[in-house]
Order: sequence, then C-alpha cells, then structure tokens
Amino acid sequence: MSATVGRIAVAGPVPATWWRRHQMALAPAILLAPACLLFALFVIWPIADSLWVSLHDWDGIKPMRFVGFGNYTELFTDDVFYTSLVNNVLWLVAFMLAPVFGLALALLLNQTLFGMRLVKSLFFFPFVISQVVVGLVFGWFLNADFGLLNVLLGFIGLPPVDILGDERWATFGVMAAGLWPQTAYCMILYLTGLTAINPELVEAARLDGARGWRLLRHVILPQLRPATFIAIVVCVVGALRSFDLVSIMTKGGPYDSSSVLAFYMYQQTFASFRYGYGAAIATVLFLIMDVYIAFFLVSLLRRERR
Amino acid sequence: MFPTPLQKQSPGARGLYRGVVSISLLVWLLPLFAIALTSTRSLDDLSRGNYWGWPTDLRIAENYTAVFTSSPMGRYLLNSVVITLPAVAGTLAVSTMAGFALAQYRFRGNIALFATFIAGNFVPFQVLMIPVRNLFVHVIPLYDTVWALVLFHIAFQTGFCTLFMRNFIRELPDALVEAARIEGVGELRIFWHVVLPLVRPALAALAVLEFTFIWNDYFWALVLVQSDTARPVTAGLQALAGQWLASWQLMSAGALIAAAPSIVIFFAMQRHFIAGLTLGAVKE
Amino acid sequence: MAEVSLRGVRKSFGPVDVIKGIDLDVAHGEFCVFVGPSGCGKSTLLRLIAGLEDITEGTLDIGGANMTRVPPANRGIAMVFQSYALYPHMTVRDNISFGLRMVDTPKPVITARVAEAARLLQLETYLDRKPSQLSGGQRQRVAIGRAIVREPEVFLFDEPLSNLDAALRSQTRVELLNLHQTLGATMIYVTHDQVEAMTMADKIVVLQAGQIEQVGSPLELYERPRNLFVAGFIGSPRMNTIPGRIATVIDGAARLELPGGAITHVQLNGTRLAPGPVLLGVRPEHIMVDDPGTSGEGLAGTVTLAEHLGAETILHIEMAHGPVLVARADGRAPQRIGQPVTLTLDPRFCHLFDPAGPALMNAPG
Repeated sequence: MSATVGRIAVAGPVPATWWRRHQMALAPAILLAPACLLFALFVIWPIADSLWVSLHDWDGIKPMRFVGFGNYTELFTDDVFYTSLVNNVLWLVAFMLAPVFGLALALLLNQTLFGMRLVKSLFFFPFVISQVVVGLVFGWFLNADFGLLNVLLGFIGLPPVDILGDERWATFGVMAAGLWPQTAYCMILYLTGLTAINPELVEAARLDGARGWRLLRHVILPQLRPATFIAIVVCVVGALRSFDLVSIMTKGGPYDSSSVLAFYMYQQTFASFRYGYGAAIATVLFLIMDVYIAFFLVSLLRRERR
Repeated sequence: MFPTPLQKQSPGARGLYRGVVSISLLVWLLPLFAIALTSTRSLDDLSRGNYWGWPTDLRIAENYTAVFTSSPMGRYLLNSVVITLPAVAGTLAVSTMAGFALAQYRFRGNIALFATFIAGNFVPFQVLMIPVRNLFVHVIPLYDTVWALVLFHIAFQTGFCTLFMRNFIRELPDALVEAARIEGVGELRIFWHVVLPLVRPALAALAVLEFTFIWNDYFWALVLVQSDTARPVTAGLQALAGQWLASWQLMSAGALIAAAPSIVIFFAMQRHFIAGLTLGAVKE
Repeated sequence: MAEVSLRGVRKSFGPVDVIKGIDLDVAHGEFCVFVGPSGCGKSTLLRLIAGLEDITEGTLDIGGANMTRVPPANRGIAMVFQSYALYPHMTVRDNISFGLRMVDTPKPVITARVAEAARLLQLETYLDRKPSQLSGGQRQRVAIGRAIVREPEVFLFDEPLSNLDAALRSQTRVELLNLHQTLGATMIYVTHDQVEAMTMADKIVVLQAGQIEQVGSPLELYERPRNLFVAGFIGSPRMNTIPGRIATVIDGAARLELPGGAITHVQLNGTRLAPGPVLLGVRPEHIMVDDPGTSGEGLAGTVTLAEHLGAETILHIEMAHGPVLVARADGRAPQRIGQPVTLTLDPRFCHLFDPAGPALMNAPG
C-alpha cells in the first residue's frame, strides 16, 4: 500500500466537476426549492394579498375599490365583530383549562397495570376524530328536545335546558365540545412527559420526604415544563382557529351570539360577499395570532442557541 | 414514577382504581357510545322517542347500507382517500428534503427560513382563504377539484413537517453525514442513502399524523370545493346533515363511517402517532 | 509522501476565535497526537485538516499540495470518528464499502479491499452483521476498516477510544500502533487523555485555548516542559509545584527559600537567573520520603493520604508551611497516615518556572 497509489485511488474517482465543486451550496438550494416555492405561493403571498384586499371594497367579482382603512374603521362599530372578538377571548380562557384537565387525566392514567395502554388510547380517542364529527356528536348530546344531557338532567329532577339555542349559553356549549378533543391532546402530551421523567429524580425526592402535592408542585411540574409549553401553544392556536365546531353546531347563532372571528370572517366573505371586510377581520385574527407566533418563535430559537 | 405505581398497593386499591378509571372512561366517551347506539336504531324507534333506551330492533346492516345507497357517501370517502394519500406523500417528500437542508447546511438565512416555516404553520387559515381561493379560481384552474386540496394541503402542512423533520435530522449524529462527505459521497446521495433510511421512524410518525390532519380537514374542503365529485367526507357529512334532518340513525352511521379511517389508522399505528404528536413535549 | 503542514491556521466561528494561529509540521509516516483539555480546539483542528470545517485564515498542505480549499474527499485523508459513525441500516460489509461504492469504484477493487481490511482487522466473520450486533470494540474496528479501504495517505482519529472500557482501550491502543507499523501512513490522533498521548505518539502536540503550548516527543515533553501548563498536563500524578524565591546565586547554584523558611539548593547548569520569586517544579518520583531527622536539608511534612497501588505507593504529604505534595514511593512504603516525614527533593530533577508560566530552567536530568 504505497502512498502514491493510495492518493490516486482516493482522488481518482472523484473528478472535480462543476457540480462537485458547488454541491455544498447547490444541494440545499435544490432540496429547499419545492418547499419554499409552495410555501411562498400558498402561505406567504396570500398573507400579503389578504392585507391588500382588506384595504378594498370588493364583492369578489367586480373590480376592487380602494377604501384605505375604511373596513377597519367599520369594525369599530360592528357589534357582531365585538361579540366574535369577546367570544375568541372566552375560547382562549376556556382552552387554558385543557392543560389542567389534561394533566389531571394524565396523572390518573399514568399507571402500568394490565390494559392501561388501551385505556389511554380510548381516552385519546376524541382527538383522532374529525371536528365535524365531534360537532355533530355534541350538537346532538346537547339537543334541547331529546339530547342525552336533558335526559340525564331529567333523572336528577332538573328541567331541560336548550344550551345551543340560548344566546347566553350557546358559545359555552360549543366551547365544551372544543375542550373535549383538546383535553385529550394535552393528556397525551403530559403522559409522554411523565414517562420521560428520570425515575431516579422522583426516587431522590421521595427519599427527601417529598410526597403528594409537594412532590408534584416542586419536582414533577418543573420537569413537565416542555409539555406544558407545547400544550399551551397548541391550545392558543386551537382557540383562535376555532371554526369547524361553530360552523357545525350553531352557525354562529342564535343571533350571532356564538360567532368567532374565524367564522364571522367566513360568513362576511361568502354569505355577504364582502371580501374586503372579511379580509380585514382575518387580519385582526392574524395580528392576535402574531403575538403568540412571536412568543413561540422566541422561546424556540432561544433553545436553539443553547 | 409519579404517581406511585399501584402494583405495590393492595388488590383492593387496585380494584378501586380500575373502577374509577372505567367510570371515567364511560363518561368521557358517552357521546360516542350514544351515536354508536343510535346508528343501530330503526326510524320507528326514533319517531317513538326512544333515543336513549335499548334499540327495539337492531338495524346495523340496514342503516350502514342505507348511508351508501341513499347518499354520495361512497363518493365522499373515495374523494377523501384521493385527496389524503397524495397530500401526505407530497408533504413528506417536500418537507424531508427541506428539513435535511435546514438541519445539515450552514448558510445565511437558514434560521430565518426555519422560523418562517414555523410561523407559517400557525397562521390562521382565514387570512389565506380569499387569496388561495382566488388563486385556484383564476390562476391555477383547479378550483372544485381534489387537486386544489392536495396542493394546498402539501403547501400548508410543509410548515409543521419541515419543523418536525429538521429537528429529527438535527438529532442524528453529524458524524454519519460527515463520514460520508469525507468519503466523497455526493450531497444528494448522502440524502438518499444515509439520511432517508435513518429518518424512517420520523416518516412513519408524520405519515400517521398528517393522515388524520388532512383527512379531518373541514375548512378548506368548504372553501376550495363545492360539488360532490370533489367533496371529501367531512364537508360531505355537513351537507348530508341538512338532507337527513330527522334521520338520526343515518346521520350517526355516517359520522362513524367518516371517522373510521382515522380511527383505524390511529389504532394500527398508535406508537408512531403519539411519537409525532408529542414531539418537543419531552426535550428541553 | 504525505507530510501535513499548517501555516498560520486560524478558525473563528463568528466572533469567537477557536484556533488562533497554528504552525505545525507532521512528517510522513509519523504518529502525531493532539492532546489538551476539553475545549482546547484539538478536535476543531482535526476537522480543519479533514476539511469538515473551512479554514478561516492560513494554509494547509498535505503531501506538498495546497489543500486549504480542497473538498474533504480529495485530500487523501480518511477519518475515524469518536462515535464511529456506522450506518445502522447497513451491514459491516456495506459500511466498509459504502464510500467506494458511492464514487463508482470497480467492483473487483471493492471486493479486494474489503477482504484485505477485514483480514487486517479480523472482521471476516462479521461482514454480514449489522453494527447493532457488534461489540464496542468490533464497531471500532469497522470504523477503522472503513478508513483503510480508502487507502488514504493520512488517517485522522477523533478520540477513537473514548467509548471503550479501560481494558479494551489499552488493547486497542496496541492494535492501532501495529496498524500504523503495517500501513506506514501518517496518522493524526486526537485525545484528551495524556496517557494515550504518551504511549502512542511519535510526536505530541499540546494544545490549550486554540494555541500550541509545545510540540515534541513524549519524553521531551515529560522532561523538558516549556511552561507550567505542559508540566502540569503531562505526567500523572502531576508535577508538584512549590512557590519559593531565589535568595542568592553562587557558583552556578541557586539558594532557594521555600515556605516556612526551608532552604534547598538547585544547580542552574549555566542558566543565568536573578534573585526573585519562582515556582519550583518536581515530579512525584523525584521526592524522597524519609523519617524525620534522617537527612540534613529536608522539608518537614505529614502524610495525609497513602494510595497503595501495589507496584508503588502514592503519598500525599502536607508540608508544615505550604502546599500538599505528592510523592511516588515504593510499593511497600511503610509510611502511615498522620505520620511526620522529611522530604528531600532530588536536585538533579528540579525545574524552575516563572510564576507567570514559562519555564526558567528544566531539570538537567
């Protein structure tokens, strides 16, 4: 094995072609091209275009008429917009219950007895099925005439209620349906988090005399922080995106009392043919979401830098 | 382990625990049991007001057949398959390539690009709705075809999947790629021969997850499609809800049929599903 | 010929300078070890030679050709990684031949080289296994096999033994040296373990904070450390250092005052030193431990710890006024903990250091 032979053997089959010389720069460009193209076309550009449309009066057919911030000033005097905005805030608050319930369920189910795997998946079930189905199931569960809820209320001697038909309660009925799959999601996040905790850490804390609530508060919860972080992020996004359930269960009614921004926007655009106004509502939703996107990005990128 | 494992407790405590869990599960899934039960009822039962008692006669076969014969449910299901499978495959292909590039190459704008994909993933759909619809009506003539949904789902889901794949590939030892590089293996061959085989678990996880995401999509099905020839099962079910008004037994059966594929996928590939969903829930 | 030479090589990651100007020549066929504490830049330096990182400034020549900007594959090098970097989805045979296959080497050549490498590394019976079915030592040999089949002029090793247990490590050390003999190639080897460096190297390069502290053969570094860092890093237990001051220099010998007023004399062998503060350095084997009162010019101390290793005993002795010294004594040394002793420093083996670091005088030996 002489050195010169080795040299030729190694360098020989790798000719310094143009591609060879530039592949470190070209390969990532090629690999990223499809993703960037699709993302630019269907996500980035539409955001900009939507902002542009929101400055116009447009029915979707006739030429657009520039109105500046006219659509936005109109929002200030729009009662349904306020209702939707308030409802979105309520959704946000309500969805913060999902991590709490999810943690409780996870603590209940974090056992390794026979059959628990199946039980856990069954609890997770609501998250797997479509929101359309969840909406139908809950709409029916809450039905004023024959819903199971009223049957159960009847058993304990209470009068029937019409939650989805009542302006005051409709939005809470929809939220309850939303919490169902959301809690399941948080539960699975926490279950995974709990399994990942180093058992020695828990043992050590037990030896130090920590038990029950104090152990949970001072040892377990801090270890679950990554799970909590993700749970809160997905709940915020879920709350602001809520559309499917409103559309299926109440169509925003009665009298727009259960509308949310996402649904109101859809209605204004396709039912009232007010594209510009719809785009303005979407922009408001987008701005609210931006706060959370920024929050998420900052903490994620900080982790990235180590 | 927290809470204290019950194996160490008395049989009585374990029995109590099982009781509590069973009752909780029953309550938790009550709405589902209810529609499962209803989907077996006869119309007579319902018109007599027997919504919650035991069905007087079981009509399982009849009801489920009726769903397919009295509605375009079969067509909807087929549409959903035709939309979901290519969309999942496309998303995985596009995002694995992008994730590899973001994880393995240092170039200016890498982090900015990565951040864009993450941020785009959280954008409310509504802000995209009008322009994307117009795009498919006026520029790319695919409005009201399954391909509009396929294309859009690939584009939008690329955000999440790129984040996922990039982080997964980042966790692989750099030395695996570097060793190949030193041996003169071309970059694209490294991607194909070294990285792809190593990311198979991540691909499985994402495939399952994306299947349910895309299968369950409702909003874009409303926005980009309007005729039965292209409508997936979610939007189809909503359309049928108006048509079947009082036929709750059909409605229930339809809902279960629509949910079945994602349920089956979930139970068949549970481990991958949860691995995908809980990404980041553990790592600090 | 495959000598490796670096001229003014620098590497910075953004504003951080990791390698701060390295000049180094590794001769053809030499076994050169980069050693230093973690974070000293030794792995980065290796990666610069491999081409896995770009050199910010300076030049790298391999075999007389400028390789500064040449892609890794064309540098005539092969690298063995700390983690071995074996592809878990490929068999041993496929792992070893992967690089050759990917650059379209003729089939017969691949077969011949894989067979040769497998024979050399006793891997013949494992060729069809996956890495997960191998022991740590076998995996390590596969990693070396993958390097060998490329028939490189320069082998680069990045801490290749750190994932092996102690017994396997010393065995593999010997195997690597035999391989070096057989192949006659230049080898550059990175480790944080000074024992590995001492036992394997023709040439040791001691690095700290991105700079070379000293280059030399193992014994050169041991006997003639250029500064306190090298003196402390090479040798175990480490060299003792005692603060003192040169009181007077008479007839080429320094009269040294040590803590507590003890006096010792050190031959300067022609080195001209002025009176002033110094650090006296002496290795553990050059301290004689006796019962009190048996020698005239001794330092008083008390034994605080005795490590009985069988062949020798390492005694930790707290001086009456000053630091704890470590002495290497006979395997059956009678001293017990708490026992007062007198220490004598062998004047032929005393080093003197400027308290700021540089050696003023190495022991004449």
